[in-house]
Amino acid sequence: MTKWLRSESFTAWAFMTPGLLLLAVFVFWPIIYSIPLALTDYSVISDTHYVGLDNFEAAFKDRNFLISIWNSLVYVLIVPFLQIFSILMAVLVNSRIPGIKIFRTTFYLPVVTSMVAVALIWSWLLGNNSVVNYLLMQAGLISKDIHWLSDSSLALYVLMFITMWKGLGYYMMLYLAGLQNIPQDLYEAARVDGASRWRLIVHITLPLLRPYVLFCTLISLMAAIRVFDEVYVLTKGGPGTATLTSSLYIFQKGMEQFNFGYASALGLIVGAVIAVLSIIVFRFNRKGGVNPY
Amino acid sequence: MTKKAKGRLRLLVSMLALVVLLSSCGGGGSKPDNVNGGKVTLQFWTIALQPTFTPYFNRVIADYEEKNPNVKIDWKDYPYDAVTNKLLTSIASGSSPDVVNLNTEFASQMGSKGAVVDMNEHLSPEEKAAYFDGIYNSTVINGKAYALPWYTGTEVLYMNTKLVKEAGLDPAHPPKTREELSEWGRQINRKIGKAGYAQQLVSKLFAIDGIPILNKEKTAAAFNTPEAVAMIDNLKKQMEDGVVLKEDAEFSQQVKYYAGEQVAFELAGPTFINFIKTAAPDVYKNTIAVPSPTGKADVRLSNTMDLVVPTKSAHVDEAVKFAVFLTNAESQTAFSKAANTLPSTKDSIKDPYFTQSDQSLEAQAKVVSAQSLDKATDHMVGVPNAKDVNSAVTRAFQNIILNGTDTKQTLTALEQEVNDILKQ
Repeated sequence: MTKWLRSESFTAWAFMTPGLLLLAVFVFWPIIYSIPLALTDYSVISDTHYVGLDNFEAAFKDRNFLISIWNSLVYVLIVPFLQIFSILMAVLVNSRIPGIKIFRTTFYLPVVTSMVAVALIWSWLLGNNSVVNYLLMQAGLISKDIHWLSDSSLALYVLMFITMWKGLGYYMMLYLAGLQNIPQDLYEAARVDGASRWRLIVHITLPLLRPYVLFCTLISLMAAIRVFDEVYVLTKGGPGTATLTSSLYIFQKGMEQFNFGYASALGLIVGAVIAVLSIIVFRFNRKGGVNPY
Repeated sequence: MTKKAKGRLRLLVSMLALVVLLSSCGGGGSKPDNVNGGKVTLQFWTIALQPTFTPYFNRVIADYEEKNPNVKIDWKDYPYDAVTNKLLTSIASGSSPDVVNLNTEFASQMGSKGAVVDMNEHLSPEEKAAYFDGIYNSTVINGKAYALPWYTGTEVLYMNTKLVKEAGLDPAHPPKTREELSEWGRQINRKIGKAGYAQQLVSKLFAIDGIPILNKEKTAAAFNTPEAVAMIDNLKKQMEDGVVLKEDAEFSQQVKYYAGEQVAFELAGPTFINFIKTAAPDVYKNTIAVPSPTGKADVRLSNTMDLVVPTKSAHVDEAVKFAVFLTNAESQTAFSKAANTLPSTKDSIKDPYFTQSDQSLEAQAKVVSAQSLDKATDHMVGVPNAKDVNSAVTRAFQNIILNGTDTKQTLTALEQEVNDILKQ
């Protein structure tokens, strides 16, 4: 016993336990509990009945839910752009240009700003007679107001842009950490062999950044499917169902309409979709990285 | 089994044990003991009324406790956004409040789920007759009244006289019907390039033109009619012509557009005045309030706050009695004076406070809207699962008006969707 108390594994467990407890209460338990809940008509406020797989059956017949899944999958399109731009930005802020720290801070500013505040600012920028429309008109690029958030062909892409704009700084910092982990002697050796700047990026930087790409792709993929704040504040899923995402629809069904059993079933289906996409991403990103041994 | 596998197994078992341990902590909350030394403590919840109206509530609660020495009122106030979650978690944990302030939509939704007490079972005919019929009936579903109406507000038309005069119109002769309002909006758009007003796309639009949302039995949708098609197409055209802003504008957006003089009118209740006074003092100075133009139904719609008693309350009788006291004519008149709201009781509007105006914008709005209370009705009268129905209707309106889908086809699909909701 005393031997174990002195061991590294005890120390590790001691440090992990508070976090694990919190995770167990607020993450693992709700996930597990949602499974039996999905088989009932639980609404908190009235009697609960077992309904079997009815909720799942209803989900696949629910046009709004299928639209919300589709919109969430469209939202995933921001993932590659997010990775490309954040890598480019990381490369930029990793260079020794004078005043680069100001850029680094500026790029990171949206990350630390509350999503609700960001969404409200964008609603002012993009509303009727908005600043963006005014500037575009002054530049002669448009002749009349564009309804950025109430035009069904634009609204979802506008939201995607806002999500990307806010997330760039965060992923940039992760990639920056990755870039600074790459041993400089690899670059020096390549330069001695006469490698061009482009070859350094393609053959050293990108392969050694792969674990970071995998991590960032995974979390941005999950974030894209789970997107909620900006949609809720800016469009509430409208116009019509143009920006109805799966998280928002689950929220509406649960918290607004008290169909918690049904909302749990929808949550499990969306969870399964995220799991499948994550597995695909894993398959494509198995190799690369710095091997320290 | 290898050492590594054993380690993993141990980890898995520990995690499972932890989850099981935690699961035993959840749920099954016990009901708090609300009876102290023979005294019943009632949990009374309101929405966003503290601290502004704390003196009124302290007074009214003290008065009630004096008249009912066996009852103690524990008053709590929550922000609008938090009250739903708070109520759900309290009911789930077995510590339901006894009297809760909710809006009609939420009260109807809870009533549909059988979560609130039927007031008809507890009130005498005289007590029921004290309220305006149209407002009292707003939460009656299948003959059961799921809430007592409390303070209310009807829309009035706020008019920016500066913009109206610039467009060559006379504010002294305001529009009396929605059609006239559209004509005014058209002229404003033509002459000064502004829009008439901003509009939220909600099921209330049906009620304004007298299109029933559901049939008399409340068992099926009843809005799929030529009148509804005409009403929606008309609104769509008005948005295209710049009479109404082409957007589904929530109240906060409407305040912004009016404050920025992007629209000349606003259809809203009395709370709008406070927002505009703060946001745009100059616009406030140029604003007058006139009776709201009526649609084809010739009714004025109320937005009512109700009091409900959850079925999970441990003291239903005492809770209903307190709710009746808080919504009686005397209490409501006093609250209206304190909060600049309208009462839902017939006797209250006989008070000079509701008949005399000192010509300030607040007084104009108050007198104008008080006089239309006898015509007032909530647009969601007796609609089961009101929240589900409302969001489906809003989505359909947005699809037709903003996304350009076919009106008839969309209404038919909506009819099916609402019928499915009613079967739940």
